[in-house]
Amino acid sequence: MELACLGLNHKTAPVEVRERFAVGNTKLGEAALQLLEISSAAEGVVISTCNRTEFYLAAEDVREAVRRLEIGLADKVHGHDGLYYRHESAQAARHLCKVVSGLDSMLLGETEIFGQVKQAYQAAHEAGATGPTLNKLFQKVFGVGKKVRTQTSIQEGSTSIGNVAVELAEKIFGHLKDSEVMVLGAGEMSRLTAKALVSRGAKSVIVANRTYEHALELAAEMNGRAVRFDDWLSVLKDVDVVISSTGAPHTLIHAKEIESVRRARKFRPLFLIDIAVPRDIEHACGEIEEVYLYDIDALEQLADEARARRSQQIAECEKIIEAELVKLL
Amino acid sequence: MIATLGRWKGMDRWFLIAATALASIAGIRGLMVLQNGKRSSWTLWWMIAALICQFGYLVIRGGMRGACPLRSIGEISVYLAWSLTLFYLLVGPMYRISLLGVFTAPVVVLFQGFALLPGRLAANPEKILNTNPWGETHSAMSVLAYGALALAAVAGVMFLVLDRQLKEHQLKGGLFRNLPPVRELLVSLERLLWIGMILLTIGLVAGLLMPHGHGARAHLIAAVAVWAGYIALIAVKRVRGITGRRFALGAVALFVLSLGVFAFV
Repeated sequence: MELACLGLNHKTAPVEVRERFAVGNTKLGEAALQLLEISSAAEGVVISTCNRTEFYLAAEDVREAVRRLEIGLADKVHGHDGLYYRHESAQAARHLCKVVSGLDSMLLGETEIFGQVKQAYQAAHEAGATGPTLNKLFQKVFGVGKKVRTQTSIQEGSTSIGNVAVELAEKIFGHLKDSEVMVLGAGEMSRLTAKALVSRGAKSVIVANRTYEHALELAAEMNGRAVRFDDWLSVLKDVDVVISSTGAPHTLIHAKEIESVRRARKFRPLFLIDIAVPRDIEHACGEIEEVYLYDIDALEQLADEARARRSQQIAECEKIIEAELVKLL
Repeated sequence: MIATLGRWKGMDRWFLIAATALASIAGIRGLMVLQNGKRSSWTLWWMIAALICQFGYLVIRGGMRGACPLRSIGEISVYLAWSLTLFYLLVGPMYRISLLGVFTAPVVVLFQGFALLPGRLAANPEKILNTNPWGETHSAMSVLAYGALALAAVAGVMFLVLDRQLKEHQLKGGLFRNLPPVRELLVSLERLLWIGMILLTIGLVAGLLMPHGHGARAHLIAAVAVWAGYIALIAVKRVRGITGRRFALGAVALFVLSLGVFAFV
């Protein structure tokens, strides 16, 4: 039995094509059975994420199976050439190892892909679309993925501003379940950063915005509460993290305002995240002992450094993959 | 029992050397692993081995003295190192304070290394014939308290390192990644100060009740002053609030000051 992979991803296909190939989580088993039907392969798994759709096949004549599959998918491709990448035998196994390890992801080293591939395999397995060849391959590949992640630093550090903010908040406060977050400005960046903090268990979110209705909307989305913009200072004594991203042309938070609530806060640590340009928070705030101030440049620099560190790990990851492939094949 | 201990007489120093070597390995190995961005899972085990050797030393030395071995500056240093190791092993794993062992090990090595200097530990220490229970309680509880307060100072140093890294945005490297969060360090620091203060209070009360010889007055005044300093630090934290940096600096400064005071008084 031979192995092959036919796929497209964010590097080869634009989003308007990728969305035509997308398969929902609940339909992955069904899609694997359709794959067998179209290609006449003996075994098949369909992986579908927002950045890729890949078809893994095991067949006696795998080239013929891939050819049939491409014919079956022709109506989804119309108007576009060179969308697919094709891998056979060891190359297909190598590619799957890279995918599972996050080496082929848009966000290098991201961890979500591991669970997504596992889900796709399980769905195909439960639907009866897999057999000895793909079962062995996927089981081994999951082991390789775990090894790559534990023995290298490919997933270390945060590569987006929201995640850097979360990582820093956790370094200051530990678990976030006792931490209150205040959002100044109801823009997209504030929303994403606050959402990242809430997803990691932040206790509550208070939103202040010049347009009160927008504050209400964002607060409702975060399961938090809104306050009038002029009242932000009165709630500062209770919060641990402030995310500021207003469109104001001048600074909004000054050292003297922070100083005025230090006693009421009992000098607890305060994490200020300024993702506005021009900046919302006066630089002098960061000189107050218990205040940790990070602006957009500092956060972006940390994300860049993490990305660079991950890139340096690629060779190490590939070495592990090659060593494991020798055992597999 | 005494006959058995007699056979081990003179081995106390070797147990102490072994404990110092094990604590050194814990610290050095921990730092080397940290340089590679990881945290050594062996630090705890090296420190447990060091504690066992310290215990061996204390049993033999106690047998030679016929009392708690706290009669010379060398013995006090070793007892303090034992107390510090003990508190690290109780607090570190329980509250999952990573890297506490790496920071504690050098302090243990420092105290024990000091005790191993020539003239600090008599080879044939004088046997104590008349022991007083209040005096014994005072010595044991006070030095045990300083073990907890030493560990509080270690946690304080860890906080100061992390605070500086966060303030200056120097967030690269294994040290930053593996240090516990700011809030957890401050909570542990306060908890250790409370434990230290409870033990120190018992030691102080016992000290007031024990028979006093020449020079005891200055020692007691110094002890009360140190105790008052720690009480003030905890009270300020509880009542008024204090920045983490000042709280940590206070814990470190008070510990260093108390060591200095008792070295001369």
